[in-house]
Amino acid sequence: MNILTLVVQYWPRLIAGLGLTIQITIISLILAGILGMVFGLLSVSKRKTLRAIALVYVDIVRGTPLLVQAFFIYFGIPMALGIQLDPVVSGVITLSLNAGGYLAEIVRGGIESISKGQMEAARSLGLPYGMAMRSVILPQAIRTMTPALINQCIITLKDTSLLSVISVTELTQTGRLIIANNYRSFEVWLIVAVMYFVIIMILSKISKRIERKMSYGKSKN
Amino acid sequence: MGKVKIKNLKKSFGDLEVLKDINLEVKEQEVICIIGASGSGKSTLLRCINALEDASSGTVEVDGNDITRADGNINKYRQDIGMVFQQFNLFPHMTVLKNISFAPVALKLKTKAEAEETALKLLRRVDLEEKANVYPEQLSGGQQQRVAIARALAMNPDVMLFDEPTSALDPEMVGEVLNVMKQLAKDGMTMIVVTHEMGFAREVADRVIFIDEGFIVEEGPPSEIFGNPKNQRTINFLNKVL
Ligand SMILES: Nc1ncnc2c1ncn2[C@@H]1O[C@H](COP(=O)(O)OP(=O)(O)OP(=O)(O)O)[C@@H](O)[C@H]1O
Ligand SMILES: [Mg+2]
Repeated sequence: MNILTLVVQYWPRLIAGLGLTIQITIISLILAGILGMVFGLLSVSKRKTLRAIALVYVDIVRGTPLLVQAFFIYFGIPMALGIQLDPVVSGVITLSLNAGGYLAEIVRGGIESISKGQMEAARSLGLPYGMAMRSVILPQAIRTMTPALINQCIITLKDTSLLSVISVTELTQTGRLIIANNYRSFEVWLIVAVMYFVIIMILSKISKRIERKMSYGKSKN
Repeated sequence: MGKVKIKNLKKSFGDLEVLKDINLEVKEQEVICIIGASGSGKSTLLRCINALEDASSGTVEVDGNDITRADGNINKYRQDIGMVFQQFNLFPHMTVLKNISFAPVALKLKTKAEAEETALKLLRRVDLEEKANVYPEQLSGGQQQRVAIARALAMNPDVMLFDEPTSALDPEMVGEVLNVMKQLAKDGMTMIVVTHEMGFAREVADRVIFIDEGFIVEEGPPSEIFGNPKNQRTINFLNKVL
């Protein structure tokens, strides 16, 4: 049996695994985006307590391995609360919290990269803080943040493979299950790797295009 | 009645006492120029007037409203206090027209059409009508600063604050900005201008204020401050800059 017949034979399962990988990535990134925005804004707040809250969150995320976070949320918390959590749900929670922490740092960095004069000019016109942040600071910050944001998307996509350890049948777990049947480690991991690679390449191509489109007014003259 | 009344204003950054006891009253339509050495607290004083810095103590009244106790009203008060910065601080992601019309629309003071009409009028006033649809980075420094003045005027302020509006400009562009400011003064705008342009102060100011080490050391009409300064520190400063 060569590698092509293997691909054909396991295609439906591989595609299902890849589908779950992509779904988890998208949902996690949406939730992480919300978390990242909220905690990023907290971390540039004037109030010390708000900044402290953001700092604690980011430090916890960065200070512990993703794998430990996944175990804690899938095994630890349900044990303490006497409940059961679906692996996919646990996985999404883990990745959202994890990516949210990194995105918060990206948002903070983006906002801090904009000169203080921008906020002052907006406030001096009478704009409230929130409006100034939303209409003046964030649109500029997002431009500088874009490469880091895209990078985080790719990292989160790859991190979904760690969810195989809590038996989420995403692409990596699918590969493991297939190998458990046919012992064709080399071919199956090669196929799985190529599938990740192709998706990530497509993603980078799209993001490069977005990045290019986001420069405003530049070199129009 | 004073447009701006500053009483016993003090401002410290940590242990550094920058403004020690400032008392100043600015009348309607008056043009005040503030001069003084670098680090003497000129910007800090100006920024206390629109609460970009919080006063440590004392009061700053603009149009009868105490800025230092504005609580929820600060955004309302600031609408009537225009500010022009040394670094222009135009919004780079907005066209010139949008820079000027954005705040009045966002604050629901004007419809988009009204605000754009006003913006075009203001652009005509600063002689940049043809630049309405370009982005700030395509303008020279002098042009950017004129747009920044137009942006502040779009809020129809009662007072305009200028913090060294020409210090970041190439020498050949200083004139065009000063001319716009002169015209503004002629039109009766109440202005407080921090400047190193002694020529401008001499020509346009009704009163010149010399600040040193957190105090107003000397004030008076330009003819007096420049022609016959009394305080030794004023004399020393003027000897250095003139
Ligand atoms: N946010 C701040 N935190 C700490 N110190 C500050 C802050 N802003 C200003 N200072 C200090 O306060 C003093 C006065 O500063 P200010 O900017 O008011 O001076 P200035 O008269 O405008 O000087 P320049 O002519 O250089 O603009 C300086 O010693 C400055 O370092
Ligand atoms: Mg200054």
